[in-house]
Amino acid sequence: MKTSEELLVIKDLHTGFRIKDTYFDAVDGVSLTLRKNEILAIVGESGCGKSTLATSIIGLHDHNKTRVQGEILFKNKNLAKLGEDEFNDVRGIDIGMIFQDPLSALNPLMRIGEQIEEGLIYHTKLTKEQRVNRVFELLTQVGIPNPQRVARQFPHQLSGGMRQRVIIAIAISCKPQIIIADEPTTALDVTIQAQILDLLKDLQAETGSGIILITHDLGVVAEVADRVAVMYAGQIIEEAPVEELFNNPKHPYTRSLFNSIPQMNSDGKKLNVIEGIVPSLLKLPRQGCRFSPRISWIPESAHEKDPVLHEVAPNHFVRCTCYKEFYFKGEEGGRA
Amino acid sequence: MVKEKDNKKEQEIISAPPTGMQVVWREFIKDRVAMFSLIIMVLAISGVFIASLFFDPAEVMKVSLRSKYAPPSSLHWLGADIGGSDVFGQLIIGAKNSLLIAIAITLITGTVGIFIGLACGYFGGWIDNMFMRIIDFFITLPSLMIIIVFITIVPKYTVFTFILIVSLFGWTSIARLVRSKALSESRRDYVNASKTLGTNDFVIIFKEVMPNISSILIVEATLSFAGNIGIETGLTFLGFGLPPSTPSLGTLVAYANNPLVMSTYWWVWLPAALFILILMLSINYVGQALRRAADAKQRLG
Repeated sequence: MKTSEELLVIKDLHTGFRIKDTYFDAVDGVSLTLRKNEILAIVGESGCGKSTLATSIIGLHDHNKTRVQGEILFKNKNLAKLGEDEFNDVRGIDIGMIFQDPLSALNPLMRIGEQIEEGLIYHTKLTKEQRVNRVFELLTQVGIPNPQRVARQFPHQLSGGMRQRVIIAIAISCKPQIIIADEPTTALDVTIQAQILDLLKDLQAETGSGIILITHDLGVVAEVADRVAVMYAGQIIEEAPVEELFNNPKHPYTRSLFNSIPQMNSDGKKLNVIEGIVPSLLKLPRQGCRFSPRISWIPESAHEKDPVLHEVAPNHFVRCTCYKEFYFKGEEGGRA
Repeated sequence: MVKEKDNKKEQEIISAPPTGMQVVWREFIKDRVAMFSLIIMVLAISGVFIASLFFDPAEVMKVSLRSKYAPPSSLHWLGADIGGSDVFGQLIIGAKNSLLIAIAITLITGTVGIFIGLACGYFGGWIDNMFMRIIDFFITLPSLMIIIVFITIVPKYTVFTFILIVSLFGWTSIARLVRSKALSESRRDYVNASKTLGTNDFVIIFKEVMPNISSILIVEATLSFAGNIGIETGLTFLGFGLPPSTPSLGTLVAYANNPLVMSTYWWVWLPAALFILILMLSINYVGQALRRAADAKQRLG
């Protein structure tokens, strides 16, 4: 049975980029809760603001050009208001991050061992010898054979999957309570993807930390996530436990996403696509349902003026009322 | 059994990518001119410093009118100048002075330039803007004229003040180069990854960003070293460098200002001129070989 202890609570988070002296919110009013022992997946297409959300949580955004408003509550601290120095006490020890591209996230000139040791130096009082032992321990934990040898190697001497394991070892080095994984499997091939996902799941079961998994791959979500939040144009448009979302998707965007997954038995039929593209940050309609331009065959009256999240089933939230009247184009009358 | 071992060893050699030093060494082996230059450079610089131990500056600079403009002989290997001082001794001590000054200028401009460039590239924002505008300002100044004016109006300048005034204008180009490299390097994921571990900015800058641009720093330092020898000798030649009592390569070449010396007493200025030419050429070739080694697209070996 999973505990429901809340680790991280995000309330009405707005992250805006400055373009010509005006701030445009790439994350626009996101509220989320991450609980202990939970893998929360954030899904969405490119440019929907999921990576921006991640960098806001861990404070990696460019402070000169970005504005973060709202609350990111962690251990009674509001991370959105922390200064760089205070943030350094949180990062690494309480929140770890796993990056998308395992090659560029490792310093090419430092040995693997040194890079894993880095966090231990700042956040623990271990002696040099203890740290080295911990490095070996971590490397073994992420499934790298022969850790003594790998610790002395440089990143370019490892394969992609090994590098991603090293990145994970770095992220968990100080046993953080929250791990943010920003598309951890995108740069890997499918067999390695499965291994890395298994590893993530195992580690989470072992340590009981909460993981925020950012991805655009619904297969990955089905594989590991406990709860899913679907993002579109900076907002969360649907949030539900994973079985509920996969069995019973409500929002037109979520349903269109599932509808456009290639099927093995589709016999030369054209792949279903979602009309249009994600609107640019500058031209985003700030009022009304943001998905409405891409389902233009649904009458205007179906949308809410100011869409909010509705609880349609226990723990299942959907933004806007348009899901009630949505049907796929060409399926006139086949309403949900 | 033995053969198997050999095979294993061989395989390891093949699979191991070359280290930094191996890449540089290969580059020199492929490029004969660079290899030759390296040998000349090492011989010239070490030769000057070792030989200077055997010369006493006061002894060398002693005026002895009897040997005024003495031609090369066993007593004066390269003859003597107008005051009868030994030219070979002046050449050694002068070369040592010139080299030390060039090294000092390179170190000062390099350190300042690297610090400012790294800070600008890493932090960006107002720090970057401020220093870039200051650098723009320095670049618009006619540096040579200001150095000459400075030396003319300061009544008693020493080697130390000379180094400082030249360095004042030298750091800008290095700072710019380092900034541009640090800018792209600082946006890499491994820097972000380090931040997520709670590493502070200072450590990231010097332990992560700097080592990753070190190849460029080495090349730039080498090439600007050659340039700094040129600046020192050039200014001294024009009469705005070191005080005449301190011999340098420039003071020796400056004797050629006198047409009589130029045409008749060639042994006074020619060795110094040749020494400058050979030294600067060889440093430049070495620098270029290093630059090629630092860039995989330009490598020969």
